[in-house]
Amino acid sequence: MTIPRIAVVLCLAVGVGAIAHAQSSAARNIGGAWVPMGGGRGADPKIAPPPATAIVLKPTYAAAQEARRAADAERTRRGEPPPSPAVLCLPYGMPRMMTVASYPIEILQTPGQITIVTEAFSEVRRVYLDQPQLPIDEVPPGYYGRSVGKWDADTLVVDTVGIKESVPSYNGLVHSDRMRITERIRLVTPDVLHDQITIDDPVVLEKPFTYTLAYRRLPNYEMVEFVCENNREYVDEQGRVRMRVGGAQK
Amino acid sequence: MARQRIAGLVASALATLTIGIAPVLAHHSFSMFDQATPLTITGVVSGVEWTNPHVYIELDLVEPIKGAKHWSIELGSPSILQRGGWKFNTVKKGDKVSAVVSPLKNGEPGSLLTRITLPDGRVLGNGGPTGVGPGTTAPPAATPR
Repeated sequence: MTIPRIAVVLCLAVGVGAIAHAQSSAARNIGGAWVPMGGGRGADPKIAPPPATAIVLKPTYAAAQEARRAADAERTRRGEPPPSPAVLCLPYGMPRMMTVASYPIEILQTPGQITIVTEAFSEVRRVYLDQPQLPIDEVPPGYYGRSVGKWDADTLVVDTVGIKESVPSYNGLVHSDRMRITERIRLVTPDVLHDQITIDDPVVLEKPFTYTLAYRRLPNYEMVEFVCENNREYVDEQGRVRMRVGGAQK
Repeated sequence: MARQRIAGLVASALATLTIGIAPVLAHHSFSMFDQATPLTITGVVSGVEWTNPHVYIELDLVEPIKGAKHWSIELGSPSILQRGGWKFNTVKKGDKVSAVVSPLKNGEPGSLLTRITLPDGRVLGNGGPTGVGPGTTAPPAATPR
Protein backbone atom coordinates (compact mmCIF):
# COMPACT_ATOMS: atom_id res chain seq x y z
CA MET A 1 0.00 0.00 0.00
CA THR A 2 1.40 3.37 -1.00
CA ILE A 3 1.63 6.21 1.45
CA PRO A 4 -1.26 8.21 -0.12
CA ARG A 5 -3.51 5.13 0.07
CA ILE A 6 -2.67 4.62 3.72
CA ALA A 7 -3.48 8.28 4.34
CA VAL A 8 -6.87 7.91 2.64
CA VAL A 9 -7.73 4.79 4.66
CA LEU A 10 -6.66 6.50 7.89
CA CYS A 11 -8.73 9.59 7.09
CA LEU A 12 -11.79 7.42 6.33
CA ALA A 13 -11.34 5.48 9.55
CA VAL A 14 -11.03 8.65 11.61
CA GLY A 15 -14.03 10.17 9.82
CA VAL A 16 -16.28 7.15 10.41
CA GLY A 17 -15.16 7.04 14.04
CA ALA A 18 -15.95 10.72 14.47
CA ILE A 19 -19.44 10.31 12.98
CA ALA A 20 -20.15 7.30 15.19
CA HIS A 21 -18.95 9.25 18.21
CA ALA A 22 -21.08 12.26 17.30
CA GLN A 23 -24.16 10.04 16.87
CA SER A 24 -23.50 8.31 20.15
CA SER A 25 -23.00 11.67 21.92
CA ALA A 26 -26.29 12.96 20.56
CA ALA A 27 -28.09 9.80 21.66
CA ARG A 28 -26.62 10.23 25.13
CA ASN A 29 -27.48 13.90 25.40
CA ILE A 30 -30.06 13.65 28.14
CA GLY A 31 -29.03 16.91 29.81
CA GLY A 32 -31.51 19.72 30.32
CA ALA A 33 -35.02 20.21 31.66
CA TRP A 34 -37.79 17.68 31.07
CA VAL A 35 -41.49 17.70 31.81
CA PRO A 36 -43.49 14.52 32.51
CA MET A 37 -45.62 13.40 29.62
CA GLY A 38 -48.76 11.35 29.97
CA GLY A 39 -49.69 8.28 28.01
CA GLY A 40 -53.22 7.01 27.66
CA ARG A 41 -55.77 7.61 24.95
CA GLY A 42 -54.60 9.70 22.04
CA ALA A 43 -50.93 9.42 22.92
CA ASP A 44 -48.51 8.89 20.04
CA PRO A 45 -47.68 5.17 20.27
CA LYS A 46 -44.14 5.86 19.06
CA ILE A 47 -43.34 7.93 22.12
CA ALA A 48 -46.00 6.95 24.68
CA PRO A 49 -44.72 4.97 27.65
CA PRO A 50 -45.75 1.31 27.62
CA PRO A 51 -48.21 0.25 30.32
CA ALA A 52 -46.93 -0.92 33.68
CA THR A 53 -46.65 -4.61 34.40
CA ALA A 54 -48.77 -6.15 37.15
CA ILE A 55 -47.77 -5.57 40.74
CA VAL A 56 -48.09 -8.75 42.74
CA LEU A 57 -47.46 -8.44 46.46
CA LYS A 58 -46.81 -11.34 48.79
CA PRO A 59 -50.09 -12.29 50.50
CA THR A 60 -49.38 -10.64 53.86
CA TYR A 61 -48.48 -7.35 52.24
CA ALA A 62 -51.31 -7.58 49.71
CA ALA A 63 -53.93 -7.89 52.46
CA ALA A 64 -52.47 -4.96 54.40
CA GLN A 65 -52.21 -2.86 51.25
CA GLU A 66 -55.82 -3.55 50.29
CA ALA A 67 -57.04 -2.69 53.80
CA ARG A 68 -55.09 0.57 53.74
CA ARG A 69 -56.33 1.45 50.25
CA ALA A 70 -59.95 0.84 51.25
CA ALA A 71 -59.59 2.92 54.44
CA ASP A 72 -57.93 5.77 52.54
CA ALA A 73 -60.63 5.70 49.85
CA GLU A 74 -63.34 5.92 52.50
CA ARG A 75 -61.66 8.87 54.21
CA THR A 76 -61.21 10.64 50.89
CA ARG A 77 -64.89 10.04 50.10
CA ARG A 78 -65.78 11.77 53.39
CA GLY A 79 -63.64 14.78 52.43
CA GLU A 80 -61.07 13.94 55.10
CA PRO A 81 -58.06 12.85 53.08
CA PRO A 82 -55.42 10.82 54.92
CA PRO A 83 -52.07 12.51 55.35
CA SER A 84 -49.15 11.65 53.09
CA PRO A 85 -45.52 12.60 53.82
CA ALA A 86 -45.81 15.44 51.30
CA VAL A 87 -48.60 17.03 53.40
CA LEU A 88 -45.92 17.49 56.04
CA CYS A 89 -43.62 19.03 53.40
CA LEU A 90 -41.41 15.94 53.33
CA PRO A 91 -39.82 15.19 49.94
CA TYR A 92 -40.80 12.20 47.83
CA GLY A 93 -37.51 10.32 47.56
CA MET A 94 -36.97 7.43 45.16
CA PRO A 95 -38.70 6.32 43.06
CA ARG A 96 -41.66 8.73 43.29
CA MET A 97 -39.56 11.88 42.90
CA MET A 98 -39.07 10.96 39.23
CA THR A 99 -42.62 12.04 38.46
CA VAL A 100 -44.58 14.46 40.61
CA ALA A 101 -47.63 15.80 38.80
CA SER A 102 -46.39 18.00 35.95
CA TYR A 103 -43.28 19.29 37.72
CA PRO A 104 -40.17 19.30 35.52
CA ILE A 105 -36.90 17.60 36.32
CA GLU A 106 -33.43 18.73 35.28
CA ILE A 107 -30.61 16.39 34.30
CA LEU A 108 -27.00 17.56 34.56
CA GLN A 109 -24.26 15.60 32.82
CA THR A 110 -20.73 16.09 34.12
CA PRO A 111 -17.69 13.79 33.86
CA GLY A 112 -18.25 10.71 35.99
CA GLN A 113 -21.64 11.81 37.32
CA ILE A 114 -25.21 12.45 36.29
CA THR A 115 -27.27 14.60 38.63
CA ILE A 116 -31.04 14.77 38.63
CA VAL A 117 -32.74 17.76 40.24
CA THR A 118 -36.50 17.89 40.57
CA GLU A 119 -38.59 21.03 40.69
CA ALA A 120 -41.09 19.71 43.24
CA PHE A 121 -39.32 19.95 46.61
CA SER A 122 -35.94 20.61 44.87
CA GLU A 123 -34.86 17.00 45.35
CA VAL A 124 -31.39 15.93 44.18
CA ARG A 125 -30.02 12.53 43.30
CA ARG A 126 -26.55 11.72 42.10
CA VAL A 127 -25.71 8.84 39.79
CA TYR A 128 -22.03 7.84 39.91
CA LEU A 129 -20.92 6.51 36.54
CA ASP A 130 -18.89 3.34 36.11
CA GLN A 131 -18.56 2.79 39.83
CA PRO A 132 -19.33 -0.51 41.58
CA GLN A 133 -22.49 -0.60 43.68
CA LEU A 134 -22.12 -1.19 47.41
CA PRO A 135 -23.88 -4.05 49.18
CA ILE A 136 -27.28 -2.83 50.44
CA ASP A 137 -26.23 -3.21 54.05
CA GLU A 138 -23.40 -0.73 53.54
CA VAL A 139 -25.63 2.06 52.22
CA PRO A 140 -27.17 4.28 54.89
CA PRO A 141 -30.96 4.13 54.34
CA GLY A 142 -32.23 7.43 52.97
CA TYR A 143 -34.59 9.12 50.55
CA TYR A 144 -32.33 8.68 47.52
CA GLY A 145 -30.09 5.77 48.49
CA ARG A 146 -26.98 5.25 46.40
CA SER A 147 -27.12 5.21 42.62
CA VAL A 148 -24.51 3.99 40.16
CA GLY A 149 -24.90 4.02 36.40
CA LYS A 150 -23.31 2.93 33.19
CA TRP A 151 -24.06 3.43 29.53
CA ASP A 152 -25.25 0.34 27.68
CA ALA A 153 -25.04 1.62 24.11
CA ASP A 154 -27.45 4.59 24.25
CA THR A 155 -29.27 3.55 27.40
CA LEU A 156 -28.19 4.77 30.81
CA VAL A 157 -28.66 1.89 33.25
CA VAL A 158 -28.93 3.04 36.86
CA ASP A 159 -28.93 0.84 39.94
CA THR A 160 -30.25 2.27 43.21
CA VAL A 161 -30.32 0.70 46.67
CA GLY A 162 -30.62 2.01 50.21
CA ILE A 163 -34.12 3.55 50.25
CA LYS A 164 -35.49 3.75 53.78
CA GLU A 165 -38.68 1.88 54.47
CA SER A 166 -40.59 5.00 55.56
CA VAL A 167 -40.28 6.46 52.04
CA PRO A 168 -43.35 5.26 50.08
CA SER A 169 -42.59 3.48 46.83
CA TYR A 170 -44.45 3.64 43.51
CA ASN A 171 -48.13 4.51 44.04
CA GLY A 172 -47.57 4.58 47.79
CA LEU A 173 -46.61 0.91 48.02
CA VAL A 174 -44.74 -0.35 51.01
CA HIS A 175 -41.28 -1.79 50.46
CA SER A 176 -38.52 -3.38 52.48
CA ASP A 177 -34.92 -2.30 52.91
CA ARG A 178 -34.06 -4.94 50.26
CA MET A 179 -35.71 -2.89 47.51
CA ARG A 180 -33.58 -2.47 44.40
CA ILE A 181 -34.49 0.03 41.66
CA THR A 182 -33.18 -0.46 38.14
CA GLU A 183 -33.70 2.29 35.61
CA ARG A 184 -33.11 2.21 31.88
CA ILE A 185 -33.06 5.82 30.71
CA ARG A 186 -32.91 6.57 27.00
CA LEU A 187 -33.96 9.05 24.35
CA VAL A 188 -36.71 7.63 22.17
CA THR A 189 -36.51 10.77 20.03
CA PRO A 190 -34.11 13.71 20.52
CA ASP A 191 -36.80 15.42 22.61
CA VAL A 192 -38.55 12.52 24.33
CA LEU A 193 -36.97 10.64 27.19
CA HIS A 194 -38.12 7.38 28.74
CA ASP A 195 -37.19 6.12 32.17
CA GLN A 196 -38.12 2.46 32.47
CA ILE A 197 -38.16 1.64 36.16
CA THR A 198 -38.08 -1.87 37.58
CA ILE A 199 -38.73 -2.36 41.28
CA ASP A 200 -37.47 -5.55 42.82
CA ASP A 201 -38.13 -6.40 46.43
CA PRO A 202 -37.86 -10.06 47.36
CA VAL A 203 -39.45 -9.41 50.77
CA VAL A 204 -42.63 -7.62 49.62
CA LEU A 205 -43.09 -8.59 45.97
CA GLU A 206 -43.80 -11.96 44.39
CA LYS A 207 -41.88 -10.73 41.35
CA PRO A 208 -40.40 -7.45 40.13
CA PHE A 209 -42.65 -4.99 38.33
CA THR A 210 -41.81 -2.43 35.67
CA TYR A 211 -43.31 0.90 34.69
CA THR A 212 -42.11 3.59 32.33
CA LEU A 213 -42.11 7.34 32.72
CA ALA A 214 -41.97 9.60 29.68
CA TYR A 215 -40.73 13.18 29.52
CA ARG A 216 -40.72 15.91 26.89
CA ARG A 217 -37.72 18.21 26.57
CA LEU A 218 -38.29 21.77 27.81
CA PRO A 219 -35.80 23.90 25.88
CA ASN A 220 -34.45 26.98 27.67
CA TYR A 221 -36.54 26.27 30.74
CA GLU A 222 -35.37 27.86 33.98
CA MET A 223 -36.17 25.67 36.95
CA VAL A 224 -38.38 27.28 39.61
CA GLU A 225 -37.27 27.11 43.23
CA PHE A 226 -39.38 25.12 45.66
CA VAL A 227 -38.97 25.74 49.36
CA CYS A 228 -41.88 24.31 51.32
CA GLU A 229 -42.13 27.35 53.59
CA ASN A 230 -45.84 28.06 53.79
CA ASN A 231 -47.60 24.82 54.47
CA ARG A 232 -51.15 25.65 55.49
CA GLU A 233 -52.26 22.07 55.50
CA TYR A 234 -51.94 20.22 58.74
CA VAL A 235 -53.02 16.97 60.28
CA ASP A 236 -55.55 17.41 63.09
CA GLU A 237 -55.86 15.32 66.23
CA GLN A 238 -58.07 12.86 64.38
CA GLY A 239 -55.51 12.34 61.61
CA ARG A 240 -57.40 14.37 59.02
CA VAL A 241 -55.76 16.82 56.63
CA ARG A 242 -57.09 20.32 57.26
CA MET A 243 -56.42 23.71 55.71
CA ARG A 244 -55.59 26.62 57.97
CA VAL A 245 -57.49 29.70 56.83
CA GLY A 246 -56.87 33.37 57.45
CA GLY A 247 -53.30 34.05 56.32
CA ALA A 248 -49.74 33.00 56.98
CA GLN A 249 -48.86 31.69 60.41
CA LYS A 250 -47.24 34.47 62.38
CA MET B 1 -53.08 -24.97 54.14
CA ALA B 2 -54.92 -25.12 50.82
CA ARG B 3 -57.35 -22.52 52.13
CA GLN B 4 -54.43 -20.27 53.12
CA ARG B 5 -52.93 -20.67 49.68
CA ILE B 6 -56.22 -19.75 48.03
CA ALA B 7 -56.58 -16.76 50.34
CA GLY B 8 -53.07 -15.72 49.38
CA LEU B 9 -53.83 -16.03 45.69
CA VAL B 10 -57.02 -14.02 46.10
CA ALA B 11 -55.13 -11.34 48.00
CA SER B 12 -52.45 -11.24 45.32
CA ALA B 13 -55.07 -11.01 42.59
CA LEU B 14 -56.79 -8.21 44.47
CA ALA B 15 -53.51 -6.36 44.82
CA THR B 16 -52.89 -6.80 41.12
CA LEU B 17 -56.33 -5.50 40.29
CA THR B 18 -56.18 -2.53 42.56
CA ILE B 19 -52.66 -1.30 42.00
CA GLY B 20 -51.49 -2.99 38.83
CA ILE B 21 -52.50 -0.03 36.75
CA ALA B 22 -50.73 2.48 34.59
CA PRO B 23 -48.65 5.02 36.51
CA VAL B 24 -50.84 7.58 38.20
CA LEU B 25 -49.60 11.10 38.68
CA ALA B 26 -49.05 11.82 42.31
CA HIS B 27 -51.07 14.78 43.43
CA HIS B 28 -52.68 16.55 46.27
CA SER B 29 -56.01 15.17 47.40
CA PHE B 30 -58.65 17.83 46.87
CA SER B 31 -61.38 15.92 48.61
CA MET B 32 -61.55 18.46 51.45
CA PHE B 33 -62.94 20.95 48.93
CA ASP B 34 -66.51 20.74 47.62
CA GLN B 35 -65.88 20.86 43.90
CA ALA B 36 -69.50 20.06 43.09
CA THR B 37 -70.75 23.32 44.59
CA PRO B 38 -68.64 26.21 43.29
CA LEU B 39 -69.02 29.67 44.79
CA THR B 40 -68.29 33.07 43.31
CA ILE B 41 -66.64 35.38 45.81
CA THR B 42 -65.85 39.03 45.16
CA GLY B 43 -63.69 41.32 47.22
CA VAL B 44 -60.47 43.22 47.76
CA VAL B 45 -57.18 41.34 48.01
CA SER B 46 -55.69 41.80 51.47
CA GLY B 47 -52.66 39.61 50.87
CA VAL B 48 -50.89 37.39 48.34
CA GLU B 49 -48.48 34.67 49.40
CA TRP B 50 -46.44 33.53 46.38
CA THR B 51 -45.06 30.52 48.20
CA ASN B 52 -44.68 26.76 48.14
CA PRO B 53 -46.26 24.31 48.45
CA HIS B 54 -49.19 26.59 47.51
CA VAL B 55 -49.89 30.16 46.58
CA TYR B 56 -52.62 31.84 48.66
CA ILE B 57 -54.81 34.85 48.08
CA GLU B 58 -56.53 36.45 51.06
CA LEU B 59 -59.76 38.22 50.20
CA ASP B 60 -61.95 40.71 52.12
CA LEU B 61 -65.40 40.11 50.70
CA VAL B 62 -67.81 42.82 49.64
CA GLU B 63 -70.64 40.77 51.15
CA PRO B 64 -70.09 38.05 53.75
CA ILE B 65 -70.61 34.47 52.56
CA LYS B 66 -71.42 31.71 55.03
CA GLY B 67 -71.07 34.29 57.78
CA ALA B 68 -67.46 35.17 56.97
CA LYS B 69 -66.15 38.43 55.52
CA HIS B 70 -62.63 37.13 55.01
CA TRP B 71 -61.83 34.13 52.83
CA SER B 72 -58.60 32.31 51.97
CA ILE B 73 -58.09 30.93 48.46
CA GLU B 74 -55.62 28.14 47.78
CA LEU B 75 -53.95 27.99 44.39
CA GLY B 76 -51.40 25.67 42.78
CA SER B 77 -47.69 26.20 43.33
CA PRO B 78 -45.60 28.95 41.68
CA SER B 79 -44.20 26.41 39.22
CA ILE B 80 -47.61 25.20 38.10
CA LEU B 81 -49.07 28.70 37.97
CA GLN B 82 -46.15 30.15 35.99
CA ARG B 83 -46.60 27.51 33.32
CA GLY B 84 -50.31 28.42 33.32
CA GLY B 85 -49.70 32.07 32.51
CA TRP B 86 -49.36 33.58 35.98
CA LYS B 87 -46.62 35.84 37.34
CA PHE B 88 -45.75 36.42 40.97
CA ASN B 89 -47.29 39.89 40.74
CA THR B 90 -50.36 39.06 38.66
CA VAL B 91 -52.54 39.68 41.71
CA LYS B 92 -51.61 42.41 44.16
CA LYS B 93 -52.83 43.63 47.52
CA GLY B 94 -55.67 46.10 46.99
CA ASP B 95 -56.87 44.54 43.71
CA LYS B 96 -60.60 44.03 43.40
CA VAL B 97 -61.15 40.55 42.06
CA SER B 98 -63.86 37.99 41.59
CA ALA B 99 -63.11 34.31 41.92
CA VAL B 100 -64.90 31.05 41.32
CA VAL B 101 -63.83 28.71 44.09
CA SER B 102 -64.57 25.32 45.61
CA PRO B 103 -65.27 25.91 49.31
CA LEU B 104 -64.00 23.73 52.15
CA LYS B 105 -66.50 21.02 53.00
CA ASN B 106 -66.13 21.68 56.72
CA GLY B 107 -67.71 25.13 56.39
CA GLU B 108 -64.61 27.17 57.21
CA PRO B 109 -63.95 30.19 54.95
CA GLY B 110 -61.24 28.55 52.88
CA SER B 111 -61.37 27.44 49.27
CA LEU B 112 -59.61 26.18 46.18
CA LEU B 113 -59.41 28.44 43.15
CA THR B 114 -61.10 27.44 39.91
CA ARG B 115 -60.65 30.75 38.08
CA ILE B 116 -60.18 34.40 38.90
CA THR B 117 -61.16 37.60 37.11
CA LEU B 118 -58.52 40.31 37.47
CA PRO B 119 -59.21 44.08 37.66
CA ASP B 120 -58.27 44.42 33.97
CA GLY B 121 -60.81 41.76 33.01
CA ARG B 122 -58.33 38.95 32.34
CA VAL B 123 -59.42 35.53 33.57
CA LEU B 124 -56.86 33.04 34.82
CA GLY B 125 -57.28 29.41 35.79
CA ASN B 126 -55.46 27.57 38.54
CA GLY B 127 -52.36 26.59 36.58
CA GLY B 128 -52.83 23.53 34.47
CA PRO B 129 -50.88 22.01 31.64
CA THR B 130 -48.15 23.98 29.92
CA GLY B 131 -49.62 26.23 27.32
CA VAL B 132 -53.00 26.58 28.93
CA GLY B 133 -53.96 30.15 28.41
CA PRO B 134 -56.00 32.62 30.38
CA GLY B 135 -59.61 31.75 30.85
CA THR B 136 -59.05 28.03 30.90
CA THR B 137 -60.20 26.16 33.91
CA ALA B 138 -57.41 23.86 34.84
CA PRO B 139 -57.88 20.49 36.43
CA PRO B 140 -57.49 20.77 40.21
CA ALA B 141 -54.14 22.43 40.66
CA ALA B 142 -51.55 19.74 40.27
CA THR B 143 -49.68 20.36 43.45
CA PRO B 144 -47.43 17.72 44.89
CA ARG B 145 -49.03 15.66 47.60
